[in-house]
Amino acid sequence: MNKQKIKLIGTAISLLLASNYSYAAAVTLDVTAWKGNEAEPAGFPVLLKKFEQENPDIKIKLSFISRGDTDVVIPPRLQGNNSPDVMMVDMPLVKIWGDAGMLKDLNTKSDWYGDIAPAIKESIAPKGKLYVQPLELVGMGNFINTDLMKKAGIDKTPTTVNELIDSCKKLNDAGISPMLFPSGLSARLFAFANGLSRSPSKPWELGNGTASFVDDPGFNKAFSLTRDLIAANCFDPKIQAALDPWTTTLSEFRGGRVAMVMHGAWNIKSFSETEGLNYTLGPIPTDKATGTALDTFGMGWAISSKTKHAEAARKFLNFFAEDENLAVLLKDESAYSPYIKGTDGVPALAEKYNAARAAGNIVMWPVYMNHWPQAMESESVDGMASFLLDPDMSSKEVLEIWDETVEDSM
Amino acid sequence: MNNKLNIYLFTIPALLVLCIFFIYPISLSLQMSFTDFTGVGIGNDVGLKNYERIFSRSRYLDAITITFAFAFIVVVVQNLIGLFFATALFRLPRIRNFSRAALFTPAMMSFVIVGYVWQFIYSPYSGGLNAMLVSIGLESFQRPWLGDPSTALFAITAAHIWMFVGYSCAIFLAGYANIPTDIQEASRLDGASSWQRFCHIEFPLLAPSITINIVLATIGTLKTFELPFIMTGGGPAGATRTLSLEIMTNLFGRYKFGFASALSIVMLIVIVVVVTLMNKYLRNRENNT
Repeated sequence: MNKQKIKLIGTAISLLLASNYSYAAAVTLDVTAWKGNEAEPAGFPVLLKKFEQENPDIKIKLSFISRGDTDVVIPPRLQGNNSPDVMMVDMPLVKIWGDAGMLKDLNTKSDWYGDIAPAIKESIAPKGKLYVQPLELVGMGNFINTDLMKKAGIDKTPTTVNELIDSCKKLNDAGISPMLFPSGLSARLFAFANGLSRSPSKPWELGNGTASFVDDPGFNKAFSLTRDLIAANCFDPKIQAALDPWTTTLSEFRGGRVAMVMHGAWNIKSFSETEGLNYTLGPIPTDKATGTALDTFGMGWAISSKTKHAEAARKFLNFFAEDENLAVLLKDESAYSPYIKGTDGVPALAEKYNAARAAGNIVMWPVYMNHWPQAMESESVDGMASFLLDPDMSSKEVLEIWDETVEDSM
Repeated sequence: MNNKLNIYLFTIPALLVLCIFFIYPISLSLQMSFTDFTGVGIGNDVGLKNYERIFSRSRYLDAITITFAFAFIVVVVQNLIGLFFATALFRLPRIRNFSRAALFTPAMMSFVIVGYVWQFIYSPYSGGLNAMLVSIGLESFQRPWLGDPSTALFAITAAHIWMFVGYSCAIFLAGYANIPTDIQEASRLDGASSWQRFCHIEFPLLAPSITINIVLATIGTLKTFELPFIMTGGGPAGATRTLSLEIMTNLFGRYKFGFASALSIVMLIVIVVVVTLMNKYLRNRENNT
């Protein structure tokens, strides 16, 4: 009886130790992201389940924190040595947190870094430090209501500024409102794509003060082209100055009350769910025959420099670097792969945008590549609004303030 | 002697709260305003650079001007309307309680809701205000209310006034309740008209309510942020960019915590100076009435 008791106790202790051992071996990765909720799942439910199945010793604790809240919630955790293991970041966050030593250097010798698209490869590892693993590049182009264009007798997607002006004229003749051009986004997309594609300077030269906006022929031309759009009655400039790009603009396009809107590919999902809306996504019209694809760095993963689970965090990042996994996310996001030969998630309706990319006519949104200081984001909105309110003003007045903003950020 | 000591002892808890929650954070902000702190890591000392930027760039002086313009319009109009309603309701006791509650309701609503509701009202596309103007034959007055720099600030002040006019009215009504009834009755017996009673009895005796209303409205509007942020984001072209909004933009849009701290210190000094002078003037006025 005593022997039996001893055996039982021994077995119980062994089982307890074994369970403790397996419990100790399981790692819980604290991950924060502004994707993965119901509104913007980004394929996370499927991907996280798959990751946990492939890595049974790693559990993922995903906390949804909106992009706006990320600015408020994460910094105190980083400062207080209580940071998440893996954080969703964009490039402005990478700069602030990376420079402060809060992010782990992922090392440019990482397997996946060699396959990064050339458009972003150098920019994500300035000074040789790689703090971010990119997840997506998002296109920003010209959404076109094909039904309204057909009504006006237009069967070709406008890819040059002249074609855009012709389209405006035909749409006006047919009594259709040609386009919305809110200063908060569309006006900037047009100005940046035209400015950067014509500029003799590199974007980072404009952003670090070695070149100036005010002397830049590309940006002066971009404002003159905006004036041409106004002259062609493409839009009423005064209304566009304070038009909300995120609510009214989108609802007007969804409602079929306007033929064109320059906006981001993140709208593809919601536009496609709108009954009766037939549309395509074209490039931003510039002087290139194919137009210009204006890509922006969407989001990426970064590992905290204080993480105690560096190995598990790396496995998590490597999982997202695999094409078949990333493709799930990109399809949900209607985004491009940041890797050469990666599978894109953009549907066929963006054929013309894809053509501009394939021709190499790509401009990267400079603020989200850290080529320009973050302050340029709001300053460019004000600049475009001022210009739309008074198109006769000299472009130099706006561009001087942009140069001042760059100077203030140095 | 013992009494004096007790008085000082009783002030200790209040002084502690004041020091921990007000003086200490302000001193930290002051310290941070001389650095380039970005919200994480360590800020480097930059001396007076942040303050030099504030006073050498027109946008920050413009923001101070806009803040004062906003405060002046709101303080004057909100208190005039509040006084008008309070005077009317004082004379209409049957509907006083209901009307006071109804007028106060917007002040209990969230700024976000009020901001979005008024944004829809002002919308250039199918907005309520433009639609109303069309329906009464005033098409020529239609405009993008929030999109036009000449009307945007007024449009936001209108929303702010709508929100807080009931608050001013409630304070004036409390002031009316403190006016001795025998004075009112005596003036009636002397044959004073309603307007005469208002000018010569009620208005002078409402002096403390006027002081409270003006000081509270001034402090509230000088640090206003919510409605401009929601309705215009400071636009168009900076026409509604108040000092508080500028601080928020620098904090969370640009990660310039050091610079935002310098702006906060400037704002603090401005508010303290304005409110102190105003309070002194209004107190003198109270004593002279």
